[in-house]
Amino acid sequence: MALRMWASSTANALRLSCVSRPPLSPAFSLSRCFSSVLDGLKYASSHEWVKHEGSVATIGITHHAQDHLGEVVFVEVPESGGSVKKGGSFGAVESVKATSDVNSPISGEIVEVNTKLSESPGLINSSPYEEGWMIKVKPSNPSELESLMGPKEYTKFCEEEDAAH
Amino acid sequence: MRISRSLEVWKMGTVNYLEALKLQDKLVSDRKTRKISDTLLSLQHPPTYTLGKRRTDHNLLVPETDLRKIGAELHYTQRGGDITFHGPHQAILYPIISLRDIGLGARNYVEKLELTMIELASLYGVKARAGQTGETGVWVGERKIGAIGVRISSGITSHGLALNIDPDLSYFKHIVPCGIADKEVTSLGKETEVALPAEEVIHEQLISCFARVFGFSDIIWKDDASILFDNQSIE
Repeated sequence: MALRMWASSTANALRLSCVSRPPLSPAFSLSRCFSSVLDGLKYASSHEWVKHEGSVATIGITHHAQDHLGEVVFVEVPESGGSVKKGGSFGAVESVKATSDVNSPISGEIVEVNTKLSESPGLINSSPYEEGWMIKVKPSNPSELESLMGPKEYTKFCEEEDAAH
Repeated sequence: MRISRSLEVWKMGTVNYLEALKLQDKLVSDRKTRKISDTLLSLQHPPTYTLGKRRTDHNLLVPETDLRKIGAELHYTQRGGDITFHGPHQAILYPIISLRDIGLGARNYVEKLELTMIELASLYGVKARAGQTGETGVWVGERKIGAIGVRISSGITSHGLALNIDPDLSYFKHIVPCGIADKEVTSLGKETEVALPAEEVIHEQLISCFARVFGFSDIIWKDDASILFDNQSIE
């Protein structure tokens, strides 16, 4: 309990940005802060998310990722029709003079890419799970989704990553 | 608990840009597989213009053939950032470190690179500051003294920072540096009132600033960089 209160007051002090900003009280603030982690999605340890709906999986980077990147000024996405491999890089995101590779959490064929991102790279910051989606993939090996993290696991993973230093 | 973290530093003298790129690619790959630990390359380039991933070559003000006439090369890279110039008397650091191991995101990493140069400048009485939004880098007033362009691949960094010690600033006239028009470029030599020591000294100070800002407690100095190139040719 003490750790949660410390973590939440640290989060307040550092003004960690959250998707929603209700008045934070210690007991609730930790779970509110991580409403930036959505249910129904799977997560990779390199901070990408996957939404599996039927035969198509949508992929993007998480709120945590865009927050740590800063303002995104340029997004590179591949051509539709190419393929991705689990853990392999499929594109990149540029922010504050840093280009960061984005890795695919699953393998498959790229069926659609978000062309809006070339004109509006900031969608990744403002709407990382919706308008900021990057590619849609037909999974070639759906069992790969099982090895990804669920929302609770990913939340804990982010907490540990941020707290360790 | 503070874990002791060591940094392997290679002092390389003047290195051709493409050679340095090839070397960084190999080191990034080795760092990903943990064959090596956090590494820093300290070097200079012969006159070289470079572009970032966005290929903003509209910021090159003269044709490429003109660059060759003045003895400079032009390279397109995968780093972030706009067009810049590298040359003699400019200190370059290429950190190949794992951001995940130290819990840093891209923004914080770039801020710490800025801080590294700001601290070095202050050793010479120069008050430098980080740029405002959209003007990443290190500035003295409205003049840019240090530039940053970084690539992060699976959390491993490459490329890095370039601090103007005393380069020939006229090379910058052929570009819109970093895509920021109407701002001058400057150097430590121009801004300080103190006499500069040998550049080797300044390079070592820059490395120490880096180590301090990034919390490395041990520096392992490596002078014989030929071993890095030998390992490359064996592949």
